Amino acid sequence: MQLDERQILVSQMDDEQLQAELKQHGVVLTPYEARRIVDLIGRDPTLCELHIFNVEWSEHCSYKSSLATLKEFLPTDAPNVIQGPEEDAGIVFFAEHEGKRYGVVIAHESHNHPSQVLPNEGAATGIGGIVRDVDCMGADVIATADPLRFGDPSGENAERTKWIVRGVVDGIWQYGNALGVPNLGGDVYFAEDFDDNCLVNVIALGLVAEEDIIHSAAPPEAATEPYDLILVGKPTDDSGFGGSAFASKILDEEEEEDDRGAVQVPDPFLKNVLAMKKANAQVKQRAKELGLAIGFKDIGGGGLACATSEITAEGGYGVDIDLDKVHVGLENLLPEVICCAETQERYVWAVPAHFSEEVLRIYNEDWDLPNIYEGAQARVIGRFTNDGIYRLVQQGKIVCEAPVEAVTSGISYERDSQPRQFEGTEPEFEMPADMKETLLKVIGHQNVCSRAYIYRCYDSEVQGNAVIRPGEAGAGVCAPLEGCPKGVALSADGNPFYGLIDPYWGGATAVAEAMRNVAAVGAKPAALTDCLNFGNPEKPQAFWEFREGVRGLADAAKNIHLKDYPDSPTPIISGNVSFYNESATGRAVAPSPIIACVGVLEDYSQAVTIQLKQAGNKLLLVGPRQDELGGSAYYQVLDLGLGRNVPQIDWQQEQGMIWAVVDANEAGHIAACQDISDGGVAVALAEMALGGHGTGQFGVHIQLDEEKLRGLRADKWLFSESTGFVMEVHAGHEQQVQEIFAGYGLELMALGEVSGDAQFDVTVAEELLINLPLDQIRDTWAGSLAEVLGS
Amino acid sequence: MSEQAAAQLRVALIQFPGSNCEWETKRAAEAAGITCDVFRWNRDPAALVEYDGYIIGGGFSYQDRIRSGVIATKEPIVATMFEQVSEFGKPVLGICNGAQVLVEAGLIPGLNPGRVEMALAPNYPDPRGRIGDFCCRWVYLKHKCAPGRCALSSQMPTGYIWPVPIAHGEGRFTTRDRDAIEQLRANDQIVFQYCDENGQVADTPEINPNGAMDNIAGICNPEGNVLAMMPHPERASFVRQLPAELSGQWGTQKQATWGDDAAMRQPGPGRLVFDSLREALLVSVC
Repeated sequence: MQLDERQILVSQMDDEQLQAELKQHGVVLTPYEARRIVDLIGRDPTLCELHIFNVEWSEHCSYKSSLATLKEFLPTDAPNVIQGPEEDAGIVFFAEHEGKRYGVVIAHESHNHPSQVLPNEGAATGIGGIVRDVDCMGADVIATADPLRFGDPSGENAERTKWIVRGVVDGIWQYGNALGVPNLGGDVYFAEDFDDNCLVNVIALGLVAEEDIIHSAAPPEAATEPYDLILVGKPTDDSGFGGSAFASKILDEEEEEDDRGAVQVPDPFLKNVLAMKKANAQVKQRAKELGLAIGFKDIGGGGLACATSEITAEGGYGVDIDLDKVHVGLENLLPEVICCAETQERYVWAVPAHFSEEVLRIYNEDWDLPNIYEGAQARVIGRFTNDGIYRLVQQGKIVCEAPVEAVTSGISYERDSQPRQFEGTEPEFEMPADMKETLLKVIGHQNVCSRAYIYRCYDSEVQGNAVIRPGEAGAGVCAPLEGCPKGVALSADGNPFYGLIDPYWGGATAVAEAMRNVAAVGAKPAALTDCLNFGNPEKPQAFWEFREGVRGLADAAKNIHLKDYPDSPTPIISGNVSFYNESATGRAVAPSPIIACVGVLEDYSQAVTIQLKQAGNKLLLVGPRQDELGGSAYYQVLDLGLGRNVPQIDWQQEQGMIWAVVDANEAGHIAACQDISDGGVAVALAEMALGGHGTGQFGVHIQLDEEKLRGLRADKWLFSESTGFVMEVHAGHEQQVQEIFAGYGLELMALGEVSGDAQFDVTVAEELLINLPLDQIRDTWAGSLAEVLGS
Repeated sequence: MSEQAAAQLRVALIQFPGSNCEWETKRAAEAAGITCDVFRWNRDPAALVEYDGYIIGGGFSYQDRIRSGVIATKEPIVATMFEQVSEFGKPVLGICNGAQVLVEAGLIPGLNPGRVEMALAPNYPDPRGRIGDFCCRWVYLKHKCAPGRCALSSQMPTGYIWPVPIAHGEGRFTTRDRDAIEQLRANDQIVFQYCDENGQVADTPEINPNGAMDNIAGICNPEGNVLAMMPHPERASFVRQLPAELSGQWGTQKQATWGDDAAMRQPGPGRLVFDSLREALLVSVC
């Protein structure tokens, strides 16, 4: 067969000509990279091949700038890991139930660039993609969560920021609710550092029996018997063409119109019929009944080319694909568009040829795809081979013929790294005269107040397995396995202000906070994921920030061990890198490693929320307060800048606190527990009094003195964001709790007690520093976000 | 009721493209002793005749195109179900999107069967502002109608106050026909009203989450064998599903079950709706 004549004569051009030629085709490869293609395939590439390599070698798909750093630092293995970061999602051991071993599947991604230019579609397709990643491992999707970072809704970009917030939240609920996946949590920060580039991260959890795991590779059986490649889902169009390349460049407002074309179009309705225990599940079930080995992969970034080459390469095969068999939604699509468009709601299967007919029947007749969405269907588009060649044919011409290895092997760079000196200093200031007013300002701050305004739009109840809902604690909890007492906890964290001061501690504190939030509900941290959101890696200071962030989070994961395997680090089993979160003006986002932690509760019925339960119970603090207000909500409220003393973590103390909280809860001593983060001890206490739904009726009476303050000024003591927990302990259990913590070498501090009078009082050495009716705190806390964002 | 009798009680849970509450609804029905089959929309409608009753559950059938629920009513299986309900008095429980389908099919309120007499309109926005139109939260319901008035709430005493979650964007029961509302009241067809934990029914955003006329959360047809309700009883069918932070007695009761898995598996208040369905099926079988 003849090679497509649209060949790009790379080897005959000088760099300048080549650069112009690449640009003309909308290809972002450098001349050096284009010449690498010639080396790899032994001739000048066709236009289709050029586009395929353009996608494969994008930062988004190849991790070309980040891979070396990730390999250098991240701990990815532990005795509880079933699947590490090599595939679409990681899997950690969850439970043994009725003779089967079950894992929790977790995937974590960013959809930052698309959400900035088309917030609704960008955020919605973020959920769509992450759900496919979990589904294609063979799992049922049981939860999502969305960590969000937006610009300042009161700042100079206020109107655009509010438009983005509204679009992103709408996109999340419109997609996630329709699909039928409960939203278990997430977090949100507002800061001018995100004015030009919002961050929209998304996490999905799944549940799978170990024996039902499906891999993203053609199985070994494909070596000896005929295996088909089946494409299923929406008809391929030109949407999202160039999406991965778009996610791998800085955002330029002048190119915004063009960039919008690179955003995919979401369809939760079609996805619901495919993914939610429906059509895909029936194929999985039938293959299992028939004892067939299969491979399954979602089509996400990089489109058909990326998914089909990877499902082929991981099995070590070749594949012949007839692009004329791909069902399309537009006439006369060029082969490179068919290969690289990121049309949503599509998957590929590797199945034995004799099973193909049944697969097509399941999709096209049983689940009636062509009548659900115009043009949607399943089709056999190719056959696996043993020749190791990735061969695409269209209209009698070969448009791509390259060793699969060459297509998927990727490319990597060693980027220069140069430390960025942080210039900020600690502010000198007097303690505010009115601490009542100050507490109200902190609790009403846009980065502290109630998030119900946002998460009330999310269906957190669907599937009927919710145990702890958004707001009720720092982590969400569900009990997904019918008849099994175990529970899954999920938290996502990452304070961007710490990262601005010191990316190392930004990464480390994100890990620690995510683990604390999981422990606070009573769950043992089991695994982590990282989504690394940074600026342009070609800039040495930005690349240094990235390396520092990774080093920090890796150190925390390596040094805070698994409670069940005390010699093992907490493994990082999945993640994503998002670079180029930067605008054409050169402003990059705050270095933002966002960490998710999955925890396992031995018994979901022991999960605890943050809300105070009973007057007379004692309030205990673990974790000494330090002069660590750098990046704090307190400094922001007082308009003191960032400060410098960012919270740091003592690994051994952190591990001890986390383990002791889990022990104390399992022993039944804890009535409520809250980790200390934004707003310090003062906010943690106020949130416990209010409760997740703002319906709390108990107050707190806190007594401090010189001995407890240990030289720290009272206001700093109250609002320092040093790590720790506040616990409400059942009356009479204080001694036992002291002993548990003493076993880890930790001291507890008695803060005061829960009162029946709905008053929030703080007394320092006999002087009443704060006394506020809880209702006053409630109004400020509950209403602030609506005030900032508008109705 | 003997086990044998229970095994004979069969409902079809109708699955449209876009339905998304099939599994928890099936689980809740089965916990009440009902055999529940998920019945896909494009199966032969003749097979539907074999069932003693029907559930239409939550979701976004046909993507809420045109109006929530309206496209689903054009499916042949809905016509078959309509016949079975009208001719043989078989019970139907419509939850959330299922309620929307029943209203669009003219089964609810059913003053003139087959005619669309009400709407489930978009929620009134919360005056304090809210980003989306969708609202997911726990509410309290009061069982308003007389004992046995509605077959799908027969196991609940009149005046029963119970917590249950809502999750919808278009759940505001409304009509422009004033006589219709009068007639619903006169017929005692208003089964559930939104209230607070003490049973107070008031039209405030906190109590009436979508601004429904008369705080209506559930309505039955004049015969009482069809119930359309917006809240999700399948999500309140086990104690473990209740939030510990509920105000009032239910929250206290939930907190008391901390650490007690067996107590958590006990029926929640929503189970009474499925218990009522079971009893209605028994009648339907006899």
